[in-house]
Amino acid sequence: MAQVMAQDVRQLSRMTLDPLMWTASLAALLLGVSTLFLIIIYVLYQASGLIGEISLGAFLFSEAWVPLAEPPRLGIMHAWMSTLYVTAISLLVAVPLGVGIALFTAELAPPAARAVLQPCLEVLAGIPSVVYGFFGFVTLVVWFEAWFDMTTGVSILAAGLIVAITVTPFIASTATEALDAVSAGDREAGLSLGVTRFYTIRRIVLPRAMPGIFAGVVLGFARAIGETLAALMLIGNSVAIPGSVLDRGQTLTGLVATELGEAAVGTPKYHALFAASAVLMVLILLINVGILLAKKRLLRHGF
Amino acid sequence: MASNPQWRLHQPRALLAERLFVAGAWIAGSMGFLLPVAIIGYLLVNGIGVLSWEFISAPPRGYPLGLHGGILPAIQGSLAVTMVALGVAFPLAVASAIYLAEYAEHPRFVAIMQFLAECLAAVPALLFGVLGYGLLVVQFGLGISALAGGLTLAMMMYPVILIGSHAALQSVDRSLRESALAMGVSRAYVIRRALLPRAWPGIIAATVLAGSHAVGSAVPVLFTAAVVQTRSAPSLDSPVMTLPTHLFYLVSEAVSFEHAYGTAFVLLVCLLFANTCALVLRRRLRMRGE
Repeated sequence: MAQVMAQDVRQLSRMTLDPLMWTASLAALLLGVSTLFLIIIYVLYQASGLIGEISLGAFLFSEAWVPLAEPPRLGIMHAWMSTLYVTAISLLVAVPLGVGIALFTAELAPPAARAVLQPCLEVLAGIPSVVYGFFGFVTLVVWFEAWFDMTTGVSILAAGLIVAITVTPFIASTATEALDAVSAGDREAGLSLGVTRFYTIRRIVLPRAMPGIFAGVVLGFARAIGETLAALMLIGNSVAIPGSVLDRGQTLTGLVATELGEAAVGTPKYHALFAASAVLMVLILLINVGILLAKKRLLRHGF
Repeated sequence: MASNPQWRLHQPRALLAERLFVAGAWIAGSMGFLLPVAIIGYLLVNGIGVLSWEFISAPPRGYPLGLHGGILPAIQGSLAVTMVALGVAFPLAVASAIYLAEYAEHPRFVAIMQFLAECLAAVPALLFGVLGYGLLVVQFGLGISALAGGLTLAMMMYPVILIGSHAALQSVDRSLRESALAMGVSRAYVIRRALLPRAWPGIIAATVLAGSHAVGSAVPVLFTAAVVQTRSAPSLDSPVMTLPTHLFYLVSEAVSFEHAYGTAFVLLVCLLFANTCALVLRRRLRMRGE
């Protein structure tokens, strides 16, 4: 040790600072990443309190949500049906729009348009959920009241359309990436055969980019089911099972956000809300893990 | 393909399809431009009229609360929870990124950690709120407080800052690091003097994005930190008002759309400013990289 110190002061810092930074940064990493497991384990643990109160089948498929009844009735069918409706509407709008924006950006846009469009989409992705909800409330909801002769315009359709705007930038940016990854050579080979640009895109570019676009759509799906406030503010928060898209409803996320703060800790209702969160969590994590694992394979196709 | 002559350029059917495609793509592209411009423009135009010195410097008054007065406690509260969150998440995430980029030896370990971080980034905000409420507020007894809300937001920010900082550190030229190490200095010295100065624009950009995301996020603080009204200045152990939850309250209880426009205006201007800064930083980083 004395030798080392005599040689170089820097050497000393290597002896002391490096192990310290190594340990501290590894500890930070393990602590931070462990929150993922903390969420999974905690939500499942609290959800398990519902076991014995109600069967999984009844919880998901048959029981109504009347937590104040005696004994409480704790089914979430109305919620996942609303979530399904909202997600379906949002994807019906967001997939054509997002892929259209991507086709424009990657294939047609002059460089200046591309330079403007990308920050625009980032701004769209940066608007908070609650602001979207407010915007929908003062525009869509008001228009619906006039167009469909509704007493209140809050409905599954209004929620679905606003959620569509929130997922569009996602689908657009992933699809643009996928289209950009198709080599210029393939594209030029098509064009050199004298066919139209549309035909080249349809038969050469799109098939190669399809796995990446598919990944974007699936991730958009996961985001749409996790969307909370924008949907909650526009859907009308009704626990009836929705019959049409102009009915009011309550998404899974909305159910948890509305009731969790008021549920007494440890009651069946409290556990049921964690169980609803668990359903959401398992769905979203499975989708993301699937896409992340398949990403390499999906993207390799493009090259 | 070429054997299918009806798709050649001079065929009318091919030309029609081509024109339809071009028209459709231009329409989608202009929607991508018009939607954000229309939404932001609509909210800003309606919000600016509400703005006054009183609106940003006075607490809410009136009955129902928020009908008159201003949103000062919400601005303070949002700042407070965001500062707590940044104070926790930033050092943890940057240290984690340094480990992944500089110390980690097994590529497989790095890949697994990246995978977990990406999973964490995909968890919806609601679940962070549920965990924060169940664990921090109820079980750890923090109560509805700025501390509980800040810690919940910190968990949400962590993976975003980690992924961005890791990418920024990795984008630093390999040879720089190797030549420094070859001179016999320690890794810690290389990180401090050679890597961080070059990676910081990317790290700050990721942090600003994560921060602005957290400022706008209402659900995680809805159960962990937020109340409709506070009288005192924010402190760690007491509940706070925040901008997004105040907006949610004003709209969902139909208190005052005028003040909702004003609140949305203040929130959006802050976020747009932060996002523009992040964008500029990232541009600068990319230019230096090339």
